[in-house]
Amino acid sequence: MDRRAFLAALGAATVASHLPLRGSDAAASGRITLLHTNDTHSRIEPFGPGNGNLSGLGGMARRGTLVKQLRQQLGPVLLLDAGDTFQGTPYFNRYQGRLDYQLMRMVGYDAGTLGNHDFDNGVDLLVEAMASMEQLKHPNPPFSFVNCNFDFKGAPALGKRVRPYLIREFPGLRVGLTGVGVAFAGLVAPKNHEGIGWRDPYESLRPVVQRLRDVEKVDLVVVLSHLGYNLNGSAPDDLQMPGRVPGIDAIIGGHSHTFLETPTRVAQARGETLVAQVGFGGVNLGRMDFALARGAVRAASGAAIQLVG
Amino acid sequence: MKLCSALLLSIFSIPLAATPPSVKTEVIPITAAIADDEAIQKVITPLAAGIKATFGLPLVQAPQGLFRGRRGEENLLGYWVSDVMRQAAQAVIGSPVRFAITNAGGLRANLRPGLLKVGDIFEMMPFENELVVIELTGAEVIQVVKEGILRRGGEPCSGVKAVVAGSPESPTYTLVWEDGSPIDLSAVVKVATSDYLYGGGDSIPTLKQGRKPFTTGVTLRQMLLDHCAVLASAKQDLLAPAPGRYTIPVPILEAIRDKKFKL
Repeated sequence: MDRRAFLAALGAATVASHLPLRGSDAAASGRITLLHTNDTHSRIEPFGPGNGNLSGLGGMARRGTLVKQLRQQLGPVLLLDAGDTFQGTPYFNRYQGRLDYQLMRMVGYDAGTLGNHDFDNGVDLLVEAMASMEQLKHPNPPFSFVNCNFDFKGAPALGKRVRPYLIREFPGLRVGLTGVGVAFAGLVAPKNHEGIGWRDPYESLRPVVQRLRDVEKVDLVVVLSHLGYNLNGSAPDDLQMPGRVPGIDAIIGGHSHTFLETPTRVAQARGETLVAQVGFGGVNLGRMDFALARGAVRAASGAAIQLVG
Repeated sequence: MKLCSALLLSIFSIPLAATPPSVKTEVIPITAAIADDEAIQKVITPLAAGIKATFGLPLVQAPQGLFRGRRGEENLLGYWVSDVMRQAAQAVIGSPVRFAITNAGGLRANLRPGLLKVGDIFEMMPFENELVVIELTGAEVIQVVKEGILRRGGEPCSGVKAVVAGSPESPTYTLVWEDGSPIDLSAVVKVATSDYLYGGGDSIPTLKQGRKPFTTGVTLRQMLLDHCAVLASAKQDLLAPAPGRYTIPVPILEAIRDKKFKL
């Protein structure tokens, strides 16, 4: 992050932290921090030597410490993941995703979405990994999966574990979370997504976001997206999404392994959407801070925090 | 950036002190290092030891070893890798894959003669590159091989034979299928490569033009580990493929090395 961007982020963050909490019936007023990862790719341990500028970075034990510190310090926090948790190290070959999801529960994730590589071992083993995480004995609750553009009719065991959206309530505000996944064609072998259909992400998001706004009355809409940051119009992506789906405050992206030091601000009808993505392999933890007052987002900022040991 | 992040965290703690007493605050010192969470590390440590122990597990006998070849020699290790890529790609997509290409730079160690272990494959192939299947025309296959010749004197490939003849000043280039039959310039064929090369890595730009990409989700390393396991269970040794895929005179190889060669 350059100095100017840093100062801008700092200014917004300071405003955010001074805003009062709302009374029970008043319009939304409060603040929330979104912590996020994407494309962690079974990087349980930090990158070893010989990995260029990623050497020594990342690791789930370190992520656990940083998340714990930030939760103690900040209060309202959601820890989210944008998919592709699986595939990339021998840990995945041996534990087939069970270890990844179990450790994510220990770190304290609230929700995640599904990337193409999460289907690499097929639907049954994906469900098994989710079930092993649910069955883990740990004080943290199991985390949820959100996606609104997969049709799970032919895969009910997975379908009952993935919700189109969910709501989290905090003092002064309600947050709506949903997710979208990339098309399977060319990325996932047909036998590995058997029974699951793919629908256009923008078309799928519109009614969900509208419901979150108008029926569920959430104050902040967050999309976990495994579409990719910028596909130059060749397929749906995160940069186009705010212009195509009204009402999104934050897009936590993945798939393209894009390293953003600060979220990209994309203008849209209601104001602006923050689009974030923090590379891959868990080398960074993303952070976005939102402050709401009188029912609207008044300040938003973010940054990537490098996981250095 | 590291310092900025730490500063942000510590500054955040100041205004929060004015919030209700139920919110605990903690000043995070301005330091980049983040300690491991003990409970999580306690889970990881024995599993990491187990993963490392698997590096010592025996895979298959390779009585002559497989070597990348010194200057001017053919890269038989690379030929083996590209042969396995072709076979694995065929198995995944269920139709013939005519050509496979990988990059010599991605093979980081020779496989020494004797009993191969899992760690040897990791040492040789430390990257997480994935097997990708694309479609190219015959003309594009010819161009892909040519680009590899111009860059490194030929990247390891499977399914074709390349002959460069003549002098460095006046070379000729011929590419045929491995059985010697001519390549139909307009025919569309399936090609196995890595996501790295398909994404434009290692200066084989024509690979980027590949159509209908199919990302298999299988890393090249896992593909090789699986292949060794199949050989071992069939009680077969791992043997180097025959040479003869690239025939390039020494003066031309020297001109390529000195970056004075055009084709």
